Amino acid sequence: MMNVRDRRAAVGGALASALLLGALAGCSSSASTSGSNAAGGSGTVPLVVYSAQGYDSAVTKAFTKATGIPVSLDDDSTGPLLAKIAAERNNPKWGLLWVDGDTAFASLDKQGQLLDYDPGVALTTAGQSLVPSNHSYSPVSTTAVPALVYNAAKVTAVPSTWQDLLGAQYKGKVGMNDPSQSGPTFPLIAGLMNELGGQTGGIAAGEAYLTKLKANGLQVHPTNGDTLHALETGQIDYGLIQSSAAAGEVATAKKSANFDPKVVYLGTTTLLPAAIGIDKAASSTEQKEAEKFIQYVLSPAGQQVMQTADPTGDSLYWPIVPGLDPVSALGAMPTNYQKIDPYFWGPLENQVNTFFDSSIK
Amino acid sequence: MALSTSLPAAVRVRARSATGWVRTASFALFWLLVAAILLLPILLFLLVAVSPRLFDQGPQWLTLSSFGAAFQGPMLQGIGDTLLVGVVTAVASAAIGFGVAWVVQRTRVPGRRLWSGSMFALLLAPSYLIALGWERLLEPQGVLDLLHVPDSAARTLLYGPVGVISVLTAKGIPFAYLAISAALRGLGEEFESAARVHGGGRAAAARIVLALVAPAIWSALAIVFAESISDFGVASTLANDAHFPVATFELYNAVDNFPVQFPVAAAVGWILLAMAGLALAAQNAALRGRSYRVLGGRTRPARRRELTRPATAGVCSAMAVLVLGCLGVPAFGAVSASLIQGLGTLMGGAAFSLANYREVLSSPELYQPLLYSIGLALITATATAVLGLTVARLLTSRRGRSSARALDLLLLTAVALPGIVFAAGYIFTYNLPLTNDLGIHLYETTTLLVLCYIATALPPASRVLFGSVGQVQETLREAARVHGSTEAGSWLRVMIPVLARPLLSAWSLTFGATVLELPVSQLLYPPNDPTVSVGVEKALANYDYGGGTAMEVLAVLAALAVIGLLWGIFQLAAPAGWRRLGRTT
Repeated sequence: MMNVRDRRAAVGGALASALLLGALAGCSSSASTSGSNAAGGSGTVPLVVYSAQGYDSAVTKAFTKATGIPVSLDDDSTGPLLAKIAAERNNPKWGLLWVDGDTAFASLDKQGQLLDYDPGVALTTAGQSLVPSNHSYSPVSTTAVPALVYNAAKVTAVPSTWQDLLGAQYKGKVGMNDPSQSGPTFPLIAGLMNELGGQTGGIAAGEAYLTKLKANGLQVHPTNGDTLHALETGQIDYGLIQSSAAAGEVATAKKSANFDPKVVYLGTTTLLPAAIGIDKAASSTEQKEAEKFIQYVLSPAGQQVMQTADPTGDSLYWPIVPGLDPVSALGAMPTNYQKIDPYFWGPLENQVNTFFDSSIK
Repeated sequence: MALSTSLPAAVRVRARSATGWVRTASFALFWLLVAAILLLPILLFLLVAVSPRLFDQGPQWLTLSSFGAAFQGPMLQGIGDTLLVGVVTAVASAAIGFGVAWVVQRTRVPGRRLWSGSMFALLLAPSYLIALGWERLLEPQGVLDLLHVPDSAARTLLYGPVGVISVLTAKGIPFAYLAISAALRGLGEEFESAARVHGGGRAAAARIVLALVAPAIWSALAIVFAESISDFGVASTLANDAHFPVATFELYNAVDNFPVQFPVAAAVGWILLAMAGLALAAQNAALRGRSYRVLGGRTRPARRRELTRPATAGVCSAMAVLVLGCLGVPAFGAVSASLIQGLGTLMGGAAFSLANYREVLSSPELYQPLLYSIGLALITATATAVLGLTVARLLTSRRGRSSARALDLLLLTAVALPGIVFAAGYIFTYNLPLTNDLGIHLYETTTLLVLCYIATALPPASRVLFGSVGQVQETLREAARVHGSTEAGSWLRVMIPVLARPLLSAWSLTFGATVLELPVSQLLYPPNDPTVSVGVEKALANYDYGGGTAMEVLAVLAALAVIGLLWGIFQLAAPAGWRRLGRTT
């Protein structure tokens, strides 16, 4: 039997609990206006977009203006967005994911998290090669990895193959990103492994090549920006990065007698699509809105916003919709390209990154 | 007093009963809040390590395999490195922090206000900014290279354990300074005088002072250790560039890479927690069973010592080197990156330009996050100061030792867990279907972001207050109650004036840290409302170094302006007694 003191404590605790929960519930009602469940108009809900694209804010605003569908945008780097999606596994909040690279989409598809959807839009040959057979996600543009950006003011040697980079004239002068921290770099390495060993050869030939490149003085920096910074400060003369970052550097860097960045492509370049996937757990209303969003992004109006909103950054992509030219600063897409299978290479990401972390970095 | 003499006995009993209810309800509410913002998120996150299935993070209901992954390869090396960094940083920061506190509190060295203010400014400087500042100085084609100063030896040191420990020590010094200076301030001079009167030399007096401020020193060691092992700013910049793996970065890799490995991250979280537990155990073992209550109604501020000219020159030089190294270099790095186009590159033609600042101040997409973050920081700092006072009071209370120990452990755990996984714990907790079914929809709202800010700010804020609150003698409030003051009145009229300055320090610390907080903001910011740190990160990720750094500099300046304004109001408007008690210079 409870004494007076215990009863008082228990009732006090219950009272306090009620107060706190009431306060939290009160918070939720005010907060729900920005949440995914709030109504944004007649028959619409806010479409929750998780995106890592530099032009996403402009595109989502243009989409809302064109369709009247409100968008709740979570604009961040790919890593935190995928971490959020993983943490939300038992109660997903996102409606649409839009990032560079398709290996994460392949993994989400294997986990049954993506809604199959075919936008039915005609694509270029390169674009068609990027479409998964089950339409679990939609490629909407492409860049390439690696683009080799080099300082033409300091060096004259220009490599054309991966093997060239093992030569003495490149010793200690080549830099690349860390796949653990740079989103485009695992596809870059997977593309290298695919080119050298193929799916039957797996990762062995690629690992052997990277080991030789390391022995030739390869420098590893965290991300595109850091590798470009190393190029600008003379720590390296050649950088292996994503094509949009390389083109952005050429377009924005101030040329001088010491610095003149130029870009070439090595061997068979790997296409890196920007893709959109729809959350299978979203409401049917939100899924329909997401489908309209993909249609909009692949339309001339959507592409026009994408190409103008981030002119020295993510806008430097090659369109996969026929009849559209890339931003002039980018130039033509490499003719010798490959498409890697994200369902094969994606599951190897952890293994490859661990190898890179312990043996190459 | 009036209540007890003029009212009938039955009314007095009911009044006491009502007071008891209020106290019990307040106590329960406090613990409920602690459970909601600290205990549950930490517990649920750590549970992922042993039961991934519970949160759809893997197939097993019960497993220890994630610990196996944590104890191998770079992850294991990161754990070893972290232990080394934590211990050395804690000792170095406590020693330097004690020195600075002594100089500011007990000597007449010129520029005390400047040195004291520098400590606050250092608190506001994100650790990654300090690291990047040093990198700008020493990197190839950096400032020293351009000035033709040989720096290869210094560069080798910077890009390694020495550099990492040095930068983290710089960040730890203000924590140690605040904890120890608060204790020194309240100590008065009577204990040293008593030692000298009884024939003790300077060494004996110093031993007594050290013994009496032991809680603050241990508190400083514990908080700096926990802050260092959980730091992410240096881990992701200098340590990463130096290929010197530390646990927080390996943990971040587990969460930030695909496939996301929350169970492994949680296992590393357990290990960080164990390290913080060791620090707490050492603190408790050193302080058990002793009393350190020296701040009372008769406490008089200690006299400041006159230093000889050589001593003054030496102390001033040392302080200048310290402030220059901790603040001057990173400030130069940040300002040069934002103001001088082309510095430190092969492009040449370095020129001054305000273009980046013009861009930030003219674009709503850039300045709105800054205003939003300042608003959030105001709320967080105020709530944290109030809660921090309650926590410090509980931690130093003679009653409820077991609950105080549990609270202390919880707070250190919160510090030891890096922000990104702490935020992940919030997602696990507040995005559960069960939570939603209860009608609580906090995920992706400003409310949840603020609650997580408060949870991460509470440990350092309560540590800052711990030293001062621990020194306040109970007799002060008891005397007020005897003279008719109510429970609340005794706090308002006696405790708040005594603790006004430490409270303001805790508020300033929280405000500054919140304005530029990144890891929590990144996972919990409400869609469409990015914080300034998310905006800076985005700008830097898009190679807009100038714009990103300009936002950073503006955010730091705004934080300094708000804090300066608050201290200015305090100096002008607070009663003289409030200003006198606990004066720092």
